[in-house]
Amino acid sequence: MTFKERLRTFRWWHELGLVILIIGLLAVAGTLMPRFLDLKSQLLLSRHIWEMAILALAITLIIITGGIDLSVGAAMGLCAVAFGMTFQYTGSLVLSCVAAMLTGGLGGAVNGALISKIKVHPLIVTLATYAAFRGIAEGLSQGVSYSQFGEEFSQIARGKWFGVPIPAYLFLAMAVACAVFLSKTPTGRFIYAIGHNEKAARFSGIDVDRIKFWLYASSGMLAGLATLVYVSRFDTAKADAGTGFELEIITAVVVGGTSIFGGRGNIAGTVLGLLLIHETRLFVGRYWQMDELKSIIIGALLIASILLYRILSPKKGRE
Amino acid sequence: MTTITLMKQKLLILTLTVAAILAGCSGDKEANPDPIQGRDNTAKTVTVALLPKIKGIAYFSSCAEGAREAADELGNIELIYDGPTDGDPKKQAEMIESWTVDGVDVIAVSPNAPDVVANAMREARAEGVQVITWDADAAADTRTFFVNQATAQSIGVGMVNAMVNDLGPDTEGDVVIVSSDATSANQNSWIEVMKPAIENSNLNLATIKYPGENASQALADSQDVIKKYPNLKGLFGISSVSFPGAAEAVEQTGHSGKILVTGLSTPNEMKKFVHSGTVRSVVLWNTVDLGYLTIFVAEALATGKLREGATTFTAGRLGEKVIAGDNVLLGDILVFTKDNIDNYDF
Repeated sequence: MTFKERLRTFRWWHELGLVILIIGLLAVAGTLMPRFLDLKSQLLLSRHIWEMAILALAITLIIITGGIDLSVGAAMGLCAVAFGMTFQYTGSLVLSCVAAMLTGGLGGAVNGALISKIKVHPLIVTLATYAAFRGIAEGLSQGVSYSQFGEEFSQIARGKWFGVPIPAYLFLAMAVACAVFLSKTPTGRFIYAIGHNEKAARFSGIDVDRIKFWLYASSGMLAGLATLVYVSRFDTAKADAGTGFELEIITAVVVGGTSIFGGRGNIAGTVLGLLLIHETRLFVGRYWQMDELKSIIIGALLIASILLYRILSPKKGRE
Repeated sequence: MTTITLMKQKLLILTLTVAAILAGCSGDKEANPDPIQGRDNTAKTVTVALLPKIKGIAYFSSCAEGAREAADELGNIELIYDGPTDGDPKKQAEMIESWTVDGVDVIAVSPNAPDVVANAMREARAEGVQVITWDADAAADTRTFFVNQATAQSIGVGMVNAMVNDLGPDTEGDVVIVSSDATSANQNSWIEVMKPAIENSNLNLATIKYPGENASQALADSQDVIKKYPNLKGLFGISSVSFPGAAEAVEQTGHSGKILVTGLSTPNEMKKFVHSGTVRSVVLWNTVDLGYLTIFVAEALATGKLREGATTFTAGRLGEKVIAGDNVLLGDILVFTKDNIDNYDF
């Protein structure tokens, strides 16, 4: 293969662009603020992103099918209330964890059923459940915040194994599993097929409805799992858990190169997108000490990533 | 156009973009010197992070003003003032964690939800950061001192006295308290003081409403009680949300001058009601002084001038302040009336 051909078939331009951006950002941050690159503090502050990172895996798969899930943040609120109320009545942390996971799975299954069986557009369905989940959570809990789950439970999010935060292991295992599932299994490839052309996928015998149902159901279950980490981190379960998560996660996934129209994207891109957003937020927060700057910069990143994609993607085969 | 030239163009644009970002960031460095970095050069500088419940509202901006005044006066303070713009206590916890990692000397927290920030505050203390609370308190093991703006006693009694004096001590009739959430610790401690004080007057406490921190609900609840109690003489709005709500309800139902509204809020929020006569007294503390005192306490703790167990503390222009247990007391409440409210701008 000549160099020219290699260049033409190189599939990782977007990921390469993200890596360059991240290195550039770290270089600037490290110059202006040498302690920014300190590994120990980076690991400690990484706890600000794990819940979003876990959810971003499910959202990546959903967006590759051409769908969307706006309800994950609200589902976390519902899971948190389920957790808190179960703890209040039973005093058992195990039961509370089960309750949160079940609630998340159930909420995701409702989304999945409405989308795959009744064939309503995912944007409409999850916009409706986004409002409904949060509303039910607030109604059930009456705004009460549950707390004092004990020192042991708070170690889930705050504890470390070999210097690395515990949620990191959880995320890495799931990310690898997701990446393998997406690129090596038939169902994983079907997910791309659905995003490329759903009708064609149906005609070629792919059980589109079953795949979609399970994707949204697992997104709900992951919301339950993310809630456990979240509740553990703040030692608080309240109906406002996960507020605004859906938009930040979708931003990370899109910055990571997954096409919002479906058919294209991968887990590596999402991980890089998450990393870029996380480091940017940390740097802006720690250097300028201005909370209001963070959301402006995230918005700018989203626009920049779309431009980056436009610049780097060869016209053929990608659009 | 061949693929190579196209690719070259793309790479060129990318390089320019990255260069622009780098230039943009380094260009700002002069204007925004890293506040914590400077600490290493002059060993005596104390870095204080002042964390409000919400950044950008009048109440906390006026506190920050007093904090800056104290920092200028002391001269050895690097002051960081930042907080969540949406009042999310979880963001407060994340900011405390960032500051801990960055090695600030003192973190002064006004916790919006003490449980949420408790672990972050304990971690900061374990890392050797001095942690204090101001404006609102948290669990005793999460901080060394609480800079307390005014005791529940002085606020509660102050509001009831204002109402009794403004109505005339001989007036008889019903009064209603419009509070915040039923779980708000500050408001509940004031109500505990207000109840016996109202009993000792000629007034009768008809009911207590809990609209939460919700302006339209405060308005609706106030309208309800105005309809329900024909002998209503006064409304207490004891949060900065319920006070304007209650005043608005009285004006909308045409009871201005007949039902008096008193309570706790910032002067700017209440000016128009004071000038229209619906409100005669607004009770608060001097928020500028609260920020000023907080920075003095922070500096004294970091330099070892103030230790646990002290009973008095001298804070610049405020003079000597009493320390009750682990509470540094700012002191008396301020009552704003038609005569002095225009002198305050926060």
